[in-house]
Amino acid sequence: MIAVPAFFAQYQARVESHLREIVPPGGTRVQQSMAYTLHAPSKRVRPVLTMLAAELCGGAQARALAAAAAMEMVHASSLILDDLPCMDDAPLRRGRPTNHREFGEAFAILAAFGLLNLSFETLGREYESALSARLTGVLAEAVGLDGLIGGQAADLLATDRQIDFDVLERIHRGKTGALFCAAATSGALTAGAGPDAIAALAAFAKNLGLAFQIIDDLLDVDGDPAATGKAVREDARKTTFVSFSGLEGARQLAAELCVTADRALSPFGQRADRLRELSAFVAARSL
Amino acid sequence: MHQHDPRVDELRQRLRSLGYLDAGVDRFVLAPARAARAPVLIALLASLRIGLLAGLLLGPAAAVGISGRVPGLVTGARDAVVIALYMGALFGLAVATAALLASLAVRLTARRAPSAVTRHGRGWGAAAGTLVALGCLAYLTLWWQTANAGIGWDAPAWTTFALLVAVAISLLLGHAVRVTTVAVLVAGAEPGTAAPAVPGASWGISLAAGVLAFAGAAAFLVLTAPAESTPAARPALTVVPSGLRTRVVAIDGVDARLLDDLISTGRLPALAAVMDGARAKLASGTTPDEGATQADPARTWTTAATGQPADLHGVYGLETRRIAGLRGSVTVSERSPLAAPLRAATDLLRLTRPSIASGHERREMTFWEVAAEAGLRTAVVNWWATWPASREAGIVLTDRATLRLEHGGDLDSEIAPPELYERLREHWPALRQRAAVLAAAAIDERQGTDIRTVLQRSAELDAMQLLLADAVADRALDLTAVYLPGLDIAQHSLLRSVDDSALSASTAALRVEAVKSYYVTLDRLLAPVVSAARDDEILLVLTAQGRVAAENGEGRLAMTGPVARRGALDSGALVDAAPTILHALGVPISEALAGRPLTTLFTEAFMARYPVRRVRHYAAPLMPGGGRGRPLDQEMIDRLRSLGYVR
Repeated sequence: MIAVPAFFAQYQARVESHLREIVPPGGTRVQQSMAYTLHAPSKRVRPVLTMLAAELCGGAQARALAAAAAMEMVHASSLILDDLPCMDDAPLRRGRPTNHREFGEAFAILAAFGLLNLSFETLGREYESALSARLTGVLAEAVGLDGLIGGQAADLLATDRQIDFDVLERIHRGKTGALFCAAATSGALTAGAGPDAIAALAAFAKNLGLAFQIIDDLLDVDGDPAATGKAVREDARKTTFVSFSGLEGARQLAAELCVTADRALSPFGQRADRLRELSAFVAARSL
Repeated sequence: MHQHDPRVDELRQRLRSLGYLDAGVDRFVLAPARAARAPVLIALLASLRIGLLAGLLLGPAAAVGISGRVPGLVTGARDAVVIALYMGALFGLAVATAALLASLAVRLTARRAPSAVTRHGRGWGAAAGTLVALGCLAYLTLWWQTANAGIGWDAPAWTTFALLVAVAISLLLGHAVRVTTVAVLVAGAEPGTAAPAVPGASWGISLAAGVLAFAGAAAFLVLTAPAESTPAARPALTVVPSGLRTRVVAIDGVDARLLDDLISTGRLPALAAVMDGARAKLASGTTPDEGATQADPARTWTTAATGQPADLHGVYGLETRRIAGLRGSVTVSERSPLAAPLRAATDLLRLTRPSIASGHERREMTFWEVAAEAGLRTAVVNWWATWPASREAGIVLTDRATLRLEHGGDLDSEIAPPELYERLREHWPALRQRAAVLAAAAIDERQGTDIRTVLQRSAELDAMQLLLADAVADRALDLTAVYLPGLDIAQHSLLRSVDDSALSASTAALRVEAVKSYYVTLDRLLAPVVSAARDDEILLVLTAQGRVAAENGEGRLAMTGPVARRGALDSGALVDAAPTILHALGVPISEALAGRPLTTLFTEAFMARYPVRRVRHYAAPLMPGGGRGRPLDQEMIDRLRSLGYVR
């Protein structure tokens, strides 16, 4: 397994701790189901991205924490839904049985909606109304027809079919890129960043998000199940990036996307080095 | 090393078209519009960004172009930066407006035919972008044609480089407009309508467009190229010396008819002696048939000195404008109907301030500069638009030299060579005293006090210029030229209000008589110059109408000396003065001059021995260095105002 950047641990710890405050382990069966996926071993790339973006734009880590947690809750919610028998019917997630295998389909659905709802509730509760409205809009867009829902819908329609590249990009953009962009944008918003900084961070996240997804495709083809936490060739029925470019081509393009992501950070200079480490980590996953 | 896989190239292009990889410009242009939803707002915000890009890219290019077109405007790196900022703002605004109009026009079309957005949206965006790119490319190509005058047409590498830069800038701005237009269309698309995809930046298409644009720009450059390119090389001027020295006395404000009358009555013996030699009537225009044009001393005397009309020599008038932040100055042709209101508006906004015509504006060489370039020893005193003085043009006592000598302080290119300044400054009190004595002796004592004061002032000015000319001519010079403003100043002071009904007939008659008396004064001042003329010396007296325009507006060029054809009478124009003087010096005449040497003024023997030789052109004048102007600038204006030159 590729080691995450050293500074990551501190951010991960703060996110984990905050997530446990919002969704404590135990409680009712729905709460247990929510906590099961939310607290599963994870790199917390999205919330860390939110916090790094906030710090880069001069904001405080603590102020970005609620937005970061919201991102992770939406992500966990999407994973539960994605794994359902009516969707991908996946047996493993993050090295453990998927949520519906552990708690049953009905509780899995409730847990997914519980996390989704809690993410918006957190934003509404933690931020003043103007910022809360903007963050809610950003997150809703990432979840909606142009984001996770749209991406998953396109993904379902594409299963067992030959799809073209534009559709594949649409799926990746919706399922991964949208939340990456929302994570970076939200962090910048909590720091009160201007449109130029937000646009630069969105460009970083967009390129990094696709690179992340391409690498996921690569790992699915020749990755180690112990490292990826899911069964290899699980996506065999689907058209992936590798289908279009081959293994080597996919690696090359993922690296180029990471380089482009870094270049988008040039207005920030050395202050963005931690985000660059993040993209380097993403790129290294494919090596 | 990766093996080349065509599938990867294809995917890379597709990714670019989907906004991944190097989409930096698109991101920059659309960044402020991300939060906007209204198409008009998106168009406005993105157009402002495009304007900013255009300003940054076109400003420096325009600064180079404008400094080529308007000599004197840019005197150094600081001026270039300021002009680049001005031009950047101007072109930024223009391109932003063009981008806004283009995107709004497309938006309007889309509203009328919403169903066509999906099918034609990208095409409309491409059309808007192409229009802006073509406009930009045409401008930059024409800019290069102007700007390269200093580099030369014999520099194909530079031309290719410039065109490539122009193509790159044009494609970039065109692409930005295209992206903006599509973004506006997407934002305004009806719900449920499939919006056009964001255009990509495929290398293949960009390269093809670049090659096409380059070929088009090159063709455009060739088609619009001037028939004869401007040469950059300084041609060799070979002098065939006649062994004669030439002295030119330029008298401003001469009414040719009055001069003839006074000579015929014997009141001007010294000038009569010169006029007895060869002489020519000079029309004030470019040709003898042209009528009198507006009399402005800086314009008139630069025309006489360069042999070119104002449109070519660039000094349109005495009053120029300095642009805020610049050392250089700019003149606007008085013929432009917009000149006066533009001047008033920019003065009001403090963007410009009045200044006086200087060598910065002049685009043609004067006769003394040509002579100095040819290796002759020259001196010029008090000619208009000679400041700042260049060391390469022999001895130059500029039109600001007396002001500097009066005030002292550090030299600011008022006198060249600089070492002359200390010597003249040392003798300045004595020179002033001598000028006052000469003036007092020369003026008519019967005049009343007021008129006498005016005449004394003019006479002192003229006497001072003649004394300065003598002071610098202590070593052998091939050419001395001195400009005398006294008559014009006296005439302007005394006669400008003669038409005023408040002035009684007797007062008006007195003033006319006073002006006539100044001709006599001037003649007395010139008498030593005429009598001292040696056998190896040509004396030329050049006159032009002053600001109180005479009816015929004629000037005179009279010549005495061993080579003057006695009694010869020719007709020419003011622009003929410079080539005639240069021919007397044995310098070849430029074919590019508007004037011609008045050969009938020379003896047949001289013409047989020294026929007119031609060169294709003279070099461009050396841009004078230095010349900050302040604080003498304002004092110069004040002095000229007191002498009636500036209102």
